Amino acid sequence: MVRKSVSAISKTVAAVIAVIIVVAIVAAIAAYMVTIPPSAPPTTPTTPTRTGVYIKNPEVDELIEKGIMTIDPAEREKIYYTLQKIYYEDVPSVVLVQPLGRHWERTWVQGWYYNPAFPGTYFYALSKSSDAKNPDTMIVATIGEPETLDPAWAYDTASGEIIFNMYDTLIFYDREHVDKFIPVIAEVVPSVENGLVRDNGLTIIFPIREGIKTHYGGEITPEDVEYSFERLMVMDRDGGPSWMLLEPLLGVESTRDEEGNIVVTAEQIDRAVEVEGRNVIFHLAKPYPLTVFFQILSQTWSSIIDKECAITHGAWPGTWENWTEYNNPAEPELQEADCGSGPFMLEAWEHGKQVSLVRFDNYFRGPAQLKRAVVKSVDEWSTRKLMFLRGDADIVYVPRQYIEELEGIEGIRCVKNLPTIQNDAIFFTMKIDPTSPYIGSGKLDGEGIPPDFFSDIDVRLGFAYAIDYDRLVNEVFLGEAKHVPGPGVEGLPFFNPDQPVYTLDLNKAKEHFQRAWGGQVWEKGFKIVILYNVGNEERKAVSEMLKENLESLNPKFKVEVRAVEWPIYLKAMVRGQLPVFIIGWLADYPDMHNFAFPYMHSRGTFAEWQGYVTPAQE
Amino acid sequence: MATNLRNYVIRRALLLVPVLVGVTLLIFAVSQLLDPYMRASLYITDPRQIRNIEAIIQKYGLNQPFYIQYFKWIEQVLQGNLGWSQSARMQVLNALINYFPATLELALYAAPLTIIVGIILGKVAAVKKDTAVDHLLRSMAIIGWSLPSFWLGIVLLAMFYGGLGIFGPGRLSTWAEALVLSGQFKTYTGLYTIDAILNLNGAVLLDALSHLVLPVTTLVIINVAVLMRVMRSSMLEQLNKTYVIAARARGLKEKVVIDKHVTKNALIPVITLSGLLTASMLSGMVITETVFEIKGIGYFAARAATQLDVSAVLGFALFAGTLFVIANLIVDILYAYIDPRIRLG
Repeated sequence: MVRKSVSAISKTVAAVIAVIIVVAIVAAIAAYMVTIPPSAPPTTPTTPTRTGVYIKNPEVDELIEKGIMTIDPAEREKIYYTLQKIYYEDVPSVVLVQPLGRHWERTWVQGWYYNPAFPGTYFYALSKSSDAKNPDTMIVATIGEPETLDPAWAYDTASGEIIFNMYDTLIFYDREHVDKFIPVIAEVVPSVENGLVRDNGLTIIFPIREGIKTHYGGEITPEDVEYSFERLMVMDRDGGPSWMLLEPLLGVESTRDEEGNIVVTAEQIDRAVEVEGRNVIFHLAKPYPLTVFFQILSQTWSSIIDKECAITHGAWPGTWENWTEYNNPAEPELQEADCGSGPFMLEAWEHGKQVSLVRFDNYFRGPAQLKRAVVKSVDEWSTRKLMFLRGDADIVYVPRQYIEELEGIEGIRCVKNLPTIQNDAIFFTMKIDPTSPYIGSGKLDGEGIPPDFFSDIDVRLGFAYAIDYDRLVNEVFLGEAKHVPGPGVEGLPFFNPDQPVYTLDLNKAKEHFQRAWGGQVWEKGFKIVILYNVGNEERKAVSEMLKENLESLNPKFKVEVRAVEWPIYLKAMVRGQLPVFIIGWLADYPDMHNFAFPYMHSRGTFAEWQGYVTPAQE
Repeated sequence: MATNLRNYVIRRALLLVPVLVGVTLLIFAVSQLLDPYMRASLYITDPRQIRNIEAIIQKYGLNQPFYIQYFKWIEQVLQGNLGWSQSARMQVLNALINYFPATLELALYAAPLTIIVGIILGKVAAVKKDTAVDHLLRSMAIIGWSLPSFWLGIVLLAMFYGGLGIFGPGRLSTWAEALVLSGQFKTYTGLYTIDAILNLNGAVLLDALSHLVLPVTTLVIINVAVLMRVMRSSMLEQLNKTYVIAARARGLKEKVVIDKHVTKNALIPVITLSGLLTASMLSGMVITETVFEIKGIGYFAARAATQLDVSAVLGFALFAGTLFVIANLIVDILYAYIDPRIRLG
């Protein structure tokens, strides 16, 4: 007779566990071997470490800084027109396209309008006709989900879409306009004419409206307004939105230096926003264009928070003794809290699934027409499409490749060619990390490129003329993009529509390559690796287009296009290892400064990685 | 017997500790093979934040040596804190509590149905060996097993929801969701069918059940084949045993021989498989959950893994490891119950 014993099974299990532990320890040792020790020097290329190669743009930084400190619009226009001209002539990067947006909704949706600065659907303006399915509830089916509901932390559009329906700001965009504003929590929009903008724009006064109820049960006071802005500056998390207020109010981009030491004082923050009676007064550290400041105040990071509610949820208590403890927190304090006074209250955030909002009946501008609004995260397109067609979703995100599946279907409306405040560009790294695995031999010997390959403007121009922009717009973006001059986008104030753009011209490309590096590039050729992140069809198309066109110019030109995962792309880009990189930029606020700075300033996000710096700053 | 069982359960429970340490150590070690930049990319939700990646690495200690990071995590776990899940935007423990009910509800219906249908079909196929019925069942099982669950789910959804407007995705219809969130409906378990019964709300119960029809059908079709084939093989093996010949020689009715003797003995391997199947369902059904918009633990784990959310993956590993150890324990106990010859020693 067979006698089975479970103890034997236990022994087997124990043996398996022992093997796992051994493997784990081995893996751990291996991992430790590859882990960067804490004492290792920082590897991010910073301006001081880039030496030897400069691009001739001595006036750029100065112009950009002047542009944001200039109040007079005519003067600003001159500055930004000059910057656009320099951008064209210097070619540190080339804007490939300005993508155009689309909005899909059921025909029973009423009241929708578009503002490129909105992070999503503004439900207060919407209603549904009586023949709609679920006539009191607006359902948006999209992808992704919010990172947080804390206005001082949120910097992504998914979070913004919820926050700007839950919270109000002092002022807000006047419908479709990006440069006209309406008062919301403020009684009036300050201006020089009404005497609320003083001292040459350095003092801005907002009288606060009375009787605005909050979802928490309180009323918005001037102290709440002061607290909201001070908390934004106190929090200043890494990669967060606080810099936008720090820049005009304190004159710094961060409350910390590169080592993480606090560089501002409590007094500075406290003095920047003050309360006097029913007024909240902003003291700017430097002249700042009023429209830009108002644009910043109209976004979700400037949401007004019920102070008592925030403190109850563990946020900064509003005192200065230990304020640094609340600086750069690891997690958002108001992650799922609702301390707003906006037209909708948080009903539930069912993570991964949806955020549902319910109407706030005490909203001071009158209750919304919709009773509920739900933003569902439906990652699978087929499911999202079926929900849309069955009327279980009223507004839906449709990826470009699926447009044809919905076109012409009754009961569906699509609003096309919506201008966005974003663009995609190709950037040339002037000083590539010499250890980069993407530059072959690292020399101009036909088997690689030297780290300063792109410091020669003829190389950059050669690349710029080798891109088929029209094909990109028509075949990759299916016509939903514009080929615009950089660094800004069409529709922004001070954008120069007459600025020329580069077009595909292989003869010109050839001429420039023949001149580059004293003719050595043409004579010896080069070998370069262009990366794109897996799944990004636009980057893939541009990379392959460059390969095709460059290799057709000279058999000694060799381009390898390689697909990598996003983190690998990110790492190589930040470390200055990519000879060229293609990436998009979504503006924080619709102003030229928000493009000029990252694209051209030596401390700008992209320019810094490229080594686009001036000798004076070195 | 009772003392043996208690000692056995205690021993297996203690075994859980090295299992979980081993599994988490392994995951942690593997995750460290990705350098800090890659792990920091989890915190980059917008290109505007890329320039802060170095500060983010410092802030979360991603460049600290492996053992320091692991022991910090262990220290947190011992304090009942599984860490923050950036991909789920909440504490890992809360995420597990948040996502598990959807999976549990799905498994609650899909697992028993799969097991019952598998046993019945396997039994019928074995008894009708080499007949048309046997061939048909085996062919159907193979087809079901071969169907990609993603494709099957989409087809079912297109037919029933897209075509007929019934059995929609998600866990509830819009009206039922509003009711559940309104405060008029008390949530006890997070399992809408159970909560609807406890709230004595037939409409929500029917709605929740209607949303389970297609995902459960998909899971049954996909998973039943293996169980059916194991049951059939096991039955055929038992049918060839001498005790069956003896029983038949004694004149016992065929039904009695099959039901009372053969089926019971044939169940042993099926129980093992059922335990693993149930544990596997409870630890998430990524594709089914994705297609049918049932955001369960599988969705949570898959998203955490693809976004390199180490805290969440470790939390999930603790959860899944515990689940599998418990499932094995239950299987062992069931062995002893079904076959008294097996001793829990």
